[in-house]
Amino acid sequence: MQHCTPEQLALAALRELLPATDAAHLLACAQCRAEVASLQRSVDLLAVPQLAAPSTPVPPPPRVWDAIAAATGVTAAPRPEAPAAPAPLAAVPPAPVPARPRRSRLLLAAAAALVVGAGIGAGAVALGNRDDDGPAVAAAALAPLGDSGASGEARVVERADGSRVLELDLTAADLEDGYYEVWLLDEAVENLVSLGVVRGGGEVTLALPPGLDLGEYRVVDVSVEPLDGDPSHSGDSVARGVLDS
Amino acid sequence: MTGVLERRPDRVGTVTTDVVPRPGSGPEPDDAEVGRRFAAGDEQALAWAYERWAGQVHGMAVRAFGPGPDAEDVTQQTFVSAWAGRESFRPDQGPLPAWLVGVCRHKIADTWVRRDRQRRAAEAVAAEARAAPETRGPQIDAAVADRVLLLGELEQLGQPQRGIIELAFFEDLTHAQIADRTGLPLGTVKSHIRRTLERLRNRLEVDGAALHA
Ligand SMILES: [Zn+2]
Repeated sequence: MQHCTPEQLALAALRELLPATDAAHLLACAQCRAEVASLQRSVDLLAVPQLAAPSTPVPPPPRVWDAIAAATGVTAAPRPEAPAAPAPLAAVPPAPVPARPRRSRLLLAAAAALVVGAGIGAGAVALGNRDDDGPAVAAAALAPLGDSGASGEARVVERADGSRVLELDLTAADLEDGYYEVWLLDEAVENLVSLGVVRGGGEVTLALPPGLDLGEYRVVDVSVEPLDGDPSHSGDSVARGVLDS
Repeated sequence: MTGVLERRPDRVGTVTTDVVPRPGSGPEPDDAEVGRRFAAGDEQALAWAYERWAGQVHGMAVRAFGPGPDAEDVTQQTFVSAWAGRESFRPDQGPLPAWLVGVCRHKIADTWVRRDRQRRAAEAVAAEARAAPETRGPQIDAAVADRVLLLGELEQLGQPQRGIIELAFFEDLTHAQIADRTGLPLGTVKSHIRRTLERLRNRLEVDGAALHA
């Protein structure tokens, strides 16, 4: 058995997607997975939103400089009217809610291999029909991420009027706080589309945005979302699978 | 305001992170000059640095703690510590704003430690008041302590290793994006990432609170 290279395991620790063969190996090899887990501790400790690169500048109140001047004895002073350095996103209008730092890669909550592994397994999902549905054009078996224990099946069904829906059966514990949200991601996990809410142990039919390219958005993802009013992905994914058409 | 739409050339070949450089304009010194004067102890450079980057530092502090005294303390301590430690700022290792952001991360991590201690002390008092049997846990939460340890280890890294891992950790870039951003070969980026993660793992194994609690 050919193990993953040390470099690939380091990338897996950073939750990058590995090439399919490495990802499949990682899924099967406890030794490589243990190595990833040991390298991942520092990632999990440091790659947190609170320590991410600056996003939205906030001018400190004048008393902050006063305290700095008092502590350092420096007599030069910043001009109150001095323009601040441009914000990293100065050309972009501010988001209506405080934007979560870009943490797209954190969405790969467990070994990236699981995505590909689920994709391989998706062939086992029959492209069957429910009653009175159109034909399933794609399907995915959703595998648990980490020890979430959540799993499910997803099918994309084309209706007679040409619209498409995602039918999802989710097997997951009921949540005391928060809710499960269904997403479609691209495989780089850089772009994502929210489809809607599903209950653990529930079935749901969710409309797909017209024109969405399922060749691009192939990954079905279920996340746990807190009731915090923040519409972005929490990064806490519990099940995932790749649509196989 | 001729500089408004100007951007510096792409930062190819550099591995600096975090802060968009201010476009050069008028008689004002550019960022590099502010950095050199800061390192040399020119007091005016501290004021310029504050004008240019206090908003970004304070933005990080507010993101971590919300607006209020903790965030203001973090911003204040970042500049006070940076000034006191200006001799350890090496202009050839990266720009001043990126270094300030690194100092700010330490202050945020230190504040987590302080809050954790206060919480434990309060709990101990409460337990005593209830005459509960003493259940003395670790003095401090392991993750909180280990973050301080790891940030210190990052500090020890030279370039380009430090810039590479900061782009991965703090800007959430993939190794391919890091290679793109820095102009370094993919293989170089991958092997630096590997060695840095090993180094951080070793540090945790030797000194980490989680394994020694
Ligand atoms: Zn292996």
